[in-house]
Amino acid sequence: MPRRRDDDDELDPEDEQEDEEELEDEEDYDDGGGRGGSSKKRRRSEFIDDVAEEDDEEEDEDDEEDDFDGGHRSHKQRRRTGSEFFELEAAVDSDEEEDEEEGEDDFIVETGAELQDEEEGRRMRRRPLLPREDDQEDFEALERRIQERYARSSHTEYDEETTDVEQQALLPSVKDPKLWMVKCAIGREREVAVCLMQKFIDKGSELQIRSAIALDHLKNYIYIEADKEAHVREACKGMRNIYSAKVMLVPIKEMTDVLSVESKAIDLSRDTWVRMKIGTYKGDLAKVVDVDNVRQRVTVKLVPRIDLQAIANKLEGREVVKKKAFVPPPRFMNIDEAREMHIRVERRRDPITGDYFENIGGMMFKDGFLYKTVSMKSISAQNIQPTFDELEKFRKPGEDGAGDIASLSTLFANRKKGHFMKGDAVIVVKGDLKNLMGWVEKVEEENVHIRPKMKGLPATLAVNEKELCKYFKPGDHVKVVSGAQEGATGMVVKVEGHVLIIVSDTTKEDIRVFADNVVESSEVTSGVTKIGDYELHDLVLLDNMSFGVIIRVESEAFQVLKGVPDRPEVVLVKLREIKSKIERRVNAQDQSKNTVSVKDVVKILEGPCKGKQGPVEHIYRGILFIYDRHHLEHAGYICAKAQSCVLVGGSRANSDRNGDSLASRFPNLRASPHITQSPRRPPRGPPMDSGGRHRGGRGHDSLVGSTIKIRLGPFKGYRGRVVDVNGQSVRVELESQMKVVTVNRNQISDNVAVATPYRDTPRYGMGSETPMHPSRTPMHPYMTPMRDPGATPIHDGMRTPMRDRAWNPYAPMSPPRDNWDDANPSSWGTSPQYQPGSPPSRPYEAPTPGSGWANTPAGNYSEAGTPRENSPAYASAPSPYLPTTPGGQPMTPSSASYLPGTPGGQPMTPGSGGLDVMSPTIGGESEGPWFIPDILVNVRKSGEESGVGVVREVLPDGSCKVALGSTGNGETITVSQNEMEIVVPRKSDKIKIMSGVHRGATGKLIGIDGTDGIVKVDDTLDVKILDMVILAKLAQV
Amino acid sequence: MFFHIVLERNMQLHPRHFGPNLRDKLVAKLMKDVEGTCSGRHGFVVAITGVDNIGKGLIRDGTGFVTFPVKYQCVVFRPFKGEILEAVVTMVNKMGFFAEAGPVQIFVSNHLIPDDMEFQSGDMPNYTTSDGSVKIQKDSEVRLKIIGTRVDATEIFCIGTIKDDFLGVINDPGAAA
Repeated sequence: MPRRRDDDDELDPEDEQEDEEELEDEEDYDDGGGRGGSSKKRRRSEFIDDVAEEDDEEEDEDDEEDDFDGGHRSHKQRRRTGSEFFELEAAVDSDEEEDEEEGEDDFIVETGAELQDEEEGRRMRRRPLLPREDDQEDFEALERRIQERYARSSHTEYDEETTDVEQQALLPSVKDPKLWMVKCAIGREREVAVCLMQKFIDKGSELQIRSAIALDHLKNYIYIEADKEAHVREACKGMRNIYSAKVMLVPIKEMTDVLSVESKAIDLSRDTWVRMKIGTYKGDLAKVVDVDNVRQRVTVKLVPRIDLQAIANKLEGREVVKKKAFVPPPRFMNIDEAREMHIRVERRRDPITGDYFENIGGMMFKDGFLYKTVSMKSISAQNIQPTFDELEKFRKPGEDGAGDIASLSTLFANRKKGHFMKGDAVIVVKGDLKNLMGWVEKVEEENVHIRPKMKGLPATLAVNEKELCKYFKPGDHVKVVSGAQEGATGMVVKVEGHVLIIVSDTTKEDIRVFADNVVESSEVTSGVTKIGDYELHDLVLLDNMSFGVIIRVESEAFQVLKGVPDRPEVVLVKLREIKSKIERRVNAQDQSKNTVSVKDVVKILEGPCKGKQGPVEHIYRGILFIYDRHHLEHAGYICAKAQSCVLVGGSRANSDRNGDSLASRFPNLRASPHITQSPRRPPRGPPMDSGGRHRGGRGHDSLVGSTIKIRLGPFKGYRGRVVDVNGQSVRVELESQMKVVTVNRNQISDNVAVATPYRDTPRYGMGSETPMHPSRTPMHPYMTPMRDPGATPIHDGMRTPMRDRAWNPYAPMSPPRDNWDDANPSSWGTSPQYQPGSPPSRPYEAPTPGSGWANTPAGNYSEAGTPRENSPAYASAPSPYLPTTPGGQPMTPSSASYLPGTPGGQPMTPGSGGLDVMSPTIGGESEGPWFIPDILVNVRKSGEESGVGVVREVLPDGSCKVALGSTGNGETITVSQNEMEIVVPRKSDKIKIMSGVHRGATGKLIGIDGTDGIVKVDDTLDVKILDMVILAKLAQV
Repeated sequence: MFFHIVLERNMQLHPRHFGPNLRDKLVAKLMKDVEGTCSGRHGFVVAITGVDNIGKGLIRDGTGFVTFPVKYQCVVFRPFKGEILEAVVTMVNKMGFFAEAGPVQIFVSNHLIPDDMEFQSGDMPNYTTSDGSVKIQKDSEVRLKIIGTRVDATEIFCIGTIKDDFLGVINDPGAAA
């Protein structure tokens, strides 16, 4: 009989069962009634015996143990009662220490403890554990016995309908035993209580305490129920971890609170999905394989994150470089691989489950998974939503379908409220009614009333929510409402248990989702369509100046169809690899020189997608992105050169926007290059370029669309339009020959330089709200209708502010506009804030008829009552000067200069003469000397590193002498305007005002409001609101 | 399934069309507007076969447009769940194949293709049985069963299956050649 005890040693680490066992003992004791101590003991041992025997047979590893114990049999028997506590404590002790370490290698530590025990073999061992299989029966038996036992007690007769009075009667009174609070070692509360119980069992009635209670939430104390304090002290005498010096009486009133139960029990059971909260595995999904409620520990199954190399290094005693930040990726353990690396792999059997584990460096592996025992606190079991991939990893071959049901129960536990709705088709997944299909009739909290599909059953059945799962048939159109694919819709093509395979509506790809995560729906969406600022089907600029359309949004990345017309090129890009969204509205010309704008339907005539046809979704650098819904690859997007397409039918974009206004179609309203071209002017007006620049912000593409002259090389003297810029080479469409040639960027003429001031001033880019629309001439046609005589000012107001702002500068372009102005004098006269009150703005207004339009924006805004951010700016601006208007202003100069180019409308003479007429201020601004000495610029000389420099001197040709270095102590170089850009000041920076009436003044940027900077001017100490684009960071001297 | 039904529609006609050919214009516009559209209820309007009745026009204030209620006969095509259709395969990929039955596009997922048919990539992607006797590739004709439909403004999209008795290839262009 005592031999059995030895066997337990191997089972040591599991003291979970101890409780039950202890209870058993107690039971036995009770049954035994008045019998003597010895019989009591025997009975108990017998009880344990049959259990332990099985273990015994399986146990084949520790023979020496048996021998050893054989020798000490009698000894042990003798010592049983008294020392048992200490044994227990000692054993637990070591465990506890491990707990505190909270290491990763629980397994090994425990084995260590075992070994230690063996060394000190003479000790008494703990009683055997009950094998798991017996738990159930035992529990039942136990329950029965407990009920029998307490049935006798006086308090148990109450049933459900206890009245308040009866309840009151149960409250403790003065006659009842009292509750004492006794201090004990932290973390040993349960242990101490169990010890007291054991002591009670062993000593019997000597111990006059009634009960001992350890509360999980109360550290450092246990409660002991006893009549007298002396009894408590007596019971605690000689026990470790109990500090009976301090025994406090719990007031009668508070006694009930001590034992009121919090219903917060976390339902941690086997096969539950949990997530790790700390350590290397933080956030990882784990499956519970074992729960130890007593020690509050769980054994979980994880996908290991093990760096075998590191282990190998460690084992061989090599220097291990600790890389803290590095977390090895989850990967299944490959034992052979480990062996190859000469890592010792032990194969041993787990004494509890009888399963074999591979043991590497103290970690237990099985089937590639890591089995790890952790504290319950280090896992979270609430709201676990395993993703499909995660679950898939855990699903090992051979375990499909049935195994899932259990794990699904976890998913069910995480259902949101109102998961089932009336009319949902459901299927019973558990219990007697398994596989019964039905429809939800009513939901009452946990219970769902379903109308079964099968005949002969009651009209409705109440089924627990957890036993139900939604049911879908192939062909159902569903929407995913939770999980990674949330938002996607599609049609069910296959049902695999509780997993649906859906063909997504947009991508036509398979999605695997849980039936639980979808609802029937008729809507069509594509799931996640947005990350950050970028949305599905957006045209984006990528890092390396390439561009493309987002054709698919994945969890962390986008699939982008690049703008390469020859072959479809799809790249996967991360969010950070995207530079910006390209929103500019540009046009292109098709093969027959028709203007193609967005939404026009084109047909592809050349290339791999020849014959395809569809509306143009994006245009960029002469490349069209066409959406053909019959094209199934790349989300229907096709990339083609504009030149290889032909417009089908009329331009929808134009007609759409123009409505019925035919005026806009008059060719003379179009500022199209062919019409307006004048010998002295580049066909494209500066504003267009500037518009282009707004988008690109800086750099290369700003040239695109402008007309240049080639200075050097074989094409010397030719003029042409830039169609593409790629680094140093520029592709130019020659005017005189219908061909496109590539020339070096520095071989093109100063014609560009003329335009450069507009083009390359980065400030334009900064005031970048100005939309693209106006920037390209072909757009004008559809801008025009707004100024259609028939249009009312309100109409403008209804436009988006952006557009308002944008088209204003163009107003003078179209004669109808003028009419309109005449007709609505108020539209431009109504902005007193800045018109009359601002001398500086005079120059704009006075000399040119443009004044009308210059003011118009304000007029329109106010009239239309559009809540633009501008309006307040006007109102509050201390200076009525133009710069107070955020977006509009920067445009103004350029449009002013553009004005002269306007075909027909204005009394200006065509040609750059317009600029001359302009006031010096404007000329100054637009011509280029935005740069002024002492400001910080970023120099981006081609082929050289970009760097910060300080403008020392502005040369007459617009280039600057720049001293490199942030303080200007480096070498001085001459930099042309397009090679540098202003360093945008930040809040609290010292700044210099580059333009306007305060030009040259220095100040401090005390705040930024959108595109406005709030500036405190040094000289006057005035606070001004100025457009950020005219502010430059002042170099520190 | 095709239906020949009578539908009604209010047509708006621009005043510039008022004149001797008003009726023709109206019919032409009707055809342009209606043919090729689809609705969830009636499916695809394939063709207008005749105009039964054109009601009295009502002049719209402000625009001068005239609204005529028009009754017309048309042929509509509407796929139903469970319907068996014959369709021509237009594209094959690893996720399944697309087929067209007139105006309707049908997708047959690889889950709905018999398990013994395997996807073979190449310049002529196809699904082939293990013994190579049956092959589904572009331009094959298949008989399939519709298991789900989705109606957009401009198209009807169906999911079909050939994983059932008597479904599958009915005429293989490869075999004929």
